Amino acid sequence: MRRARNFNGSIWKVVWLFIWIVILSIYLFPFAWMVMTGFRNPVDTYSWPPKFLFHPTLQGFHYLFAVKHFQGFLVNSVIVSVASTLLVILLGTPAAYASAVLPSGKKGFLLGLLIGRMMPAVALVVPVYLIASRWHLLDTYQVLVAINVAFNLPFAIWLTRSFFQDIPRELREAAILDGCSEFSVFHRIFVPLCAGGIAAAAVFTFIAAWNEFLFALTLTNTRAATAPVVALGFRTQFGIQWGAAGAAALLISAPVIVFAMIMQKYLLRGMTLGAVK
Amino acid sequence: MTQPEKDGLPWWASASTHRPPARGGASYDDARTAENKPATVKRVTSAPAGARGVTDSRRARRDRRAASWFIFPAAFVLTVVTLAPLAYSLFVSFTNWTLTVPGSDQQFIGLANYGRVLASPAFWKTVQVTMTFALSATGLELLLSVAFALMLNQQFVGRGLIRALVLIPLVITPAVVGMFWKLLYDDQQGVFNFFLVSSGLPRIHWLDQSWALTSVVLTDVWQWTPFLVLIVLAGLHSLDVEMLEAARIDGANRYQTFRYLTLPHLIPYLMVGVFFRLLDAMKDFDKIYLLTQGGPGSETSTFSIYAFDTGFRIFQIGRTSAIAWLIALVSFVVSLPLLWVMSRRISREMPS
Repeated sequence: MRRARNFNGSIWKVVWLFIWIVILSIYLFPFAWMVMTGFRNPVDTYSWPPKFLFHPTLQGFHYLFAVKHFQGFLVNSVIVSVASTLLVILLGTPAAYASAVLPSGKKGFLLGLLIGRMMPAVALVVPVYLIASRWHLLDTYQVLVAINVAFNLPFAIWLTRSFFQDIPRELREAAILDGCSEFSVFHRIFVPLCAGGIAAAAVFTFIAAWNEFLFALTLTNTRAATAPVVALGFRTQFGIQWGAAGAAALLISAPVIVFAMIMQKYLLRGMTLGAVK
Repeated sequence: MTQPEKDGLPWWASASTHRPPARGGASYDDARTAENKPATVKRVTSAPAGARGVTDSRRARRDRRAASWFIFPAAFVLTVVTLAPLAYSLFVSFTNWTLTVPGSDQQFIGLANYGRVLASPAFWKTVQVTMTFALSATGLELLLSVAFALMLNQQFVGRGLIRALVLIPLVITPAVVGMFWKLLYDDQQGVFNFFLVSSGLPRIHWLDQSWALTSVVLTDVWQWTPFLVLIVLAGLHSLDVEMLEAARIDGANRYQTFRYLTLPHLIPYLMVGVFFRLLDAMKDFDKIYLLTQGGPGSETSTFSIYAFDTGFRIFQIGRTSAIAWLIALVSFVVSLPLLWVMSRRISREMPS
């Protein structure tokens, strides 16, 4: 009897795996097709019926780097994302610490951040464009970094705050009684204890800045354009150059996927501002 | 919120008690929740008994000053980069400014822009498209995600890997998603039409008048379902297994257990997820811009696309600013329930 049930249980363990393999091969097909497009011969992209099996080539990548100089735009993306991330962490971590650990009302500040997180980016795009053009900041890294910092600070503060809250506040009281300054409590005790959470906030900020499209599209032209905006330019009068577009899509999304998988544990917490852990 | 609050605790507090503590701090959190008292009780006892009365006010002042120093840099940057442009756009929204008409930025026309926008059928079409898009995408994602999450919650070989793979669409750059779904939807070379034709069905003109909005919704469902899957899984993990076991012993069947135990437990989680999804769907720009640019006509023109077009194609800066403010207002109203939930949460956690 018991053996029969165990046997039944292990059968189901395999059956569910099989069901999921079927579901995933349908669900992830669009992604797989994108990856395949990146390695397909450009001529084959337009073949009918579409080729599912083909000889993979690196022509798309070659064209991307040799002809389109895509590496320069990837570097732009890296510069903007890294600078934004550093600033967000530098500005956000102390604010998160204060709002999680220090007594006194910061409710208004926190709610203000939340409203900022909910605001549609498009509400800012025109005034920022006007201001940037008046101050000759169009097509510079500075303006993109400023925007990315402003858009990611609210979420980063909320997320980091939720990690600081996991640490007993008595730790701070004890350290203060022992004569520690507020700043050393922050950077000697709380920051090291929350290193994981701060790293999560950094990774998610990097991803958001890397993925940012609307402001990069409107505020940059050729010098500071980031990779996603340039990939859009593979639309020509003859249609989209899919070999290059597929390769670009792969290069843009690969780092994001890798980072997100590393931080998978904190993904939900990050996306809900720490509301669901 | 409709959720019964166990021991008077809000749901997010009780949720954390069922989780295995991931780090040292979590057990502290649990202890606090178990006591069902704010941490102040502990804090007072931990302060030196004699020195309390005199130093308290001085300490409070010192704490407040420290808090301002820690918060000031972030608040300053946010004010300069977001509040200042917003205020500027409010000012611009009262002018007749059109980039192609010199001097028009000096013409103040009061609330006329708002009046014109609210009177234009194009704006209301946009409202309709945005709401249809956001509600149908979120609804489909909700159904699909509950199904996916329940299936991912089974015991099976390789579950960790499958769970990670399900997340892929969620983490791809949205602009990239728009770009390659356009290839999939292509009339002639698109692989979706290939599947349709080879199974004997007629081609679908995915991005034409009658299908465009559906296609945009489908892409959104594909991309964002994993987000709600994550939320539902978090809810399922915090479910009391013994309670389910007890129900089973009492003779409840699978449907009853789900309907009367699992689902009520999941609802608050789903509420938070749905609100995040609704708000983000209303803001969506990248994907739609790359798939359809709001077209054909204005079939898929959501708030963001509409404002973008008015600003950067027609260059009516004054009017765009009015649209932007109206959009911001709508988003704010939709986000009120979420703001309320979060604000209660802040009050509960506030160090006093």
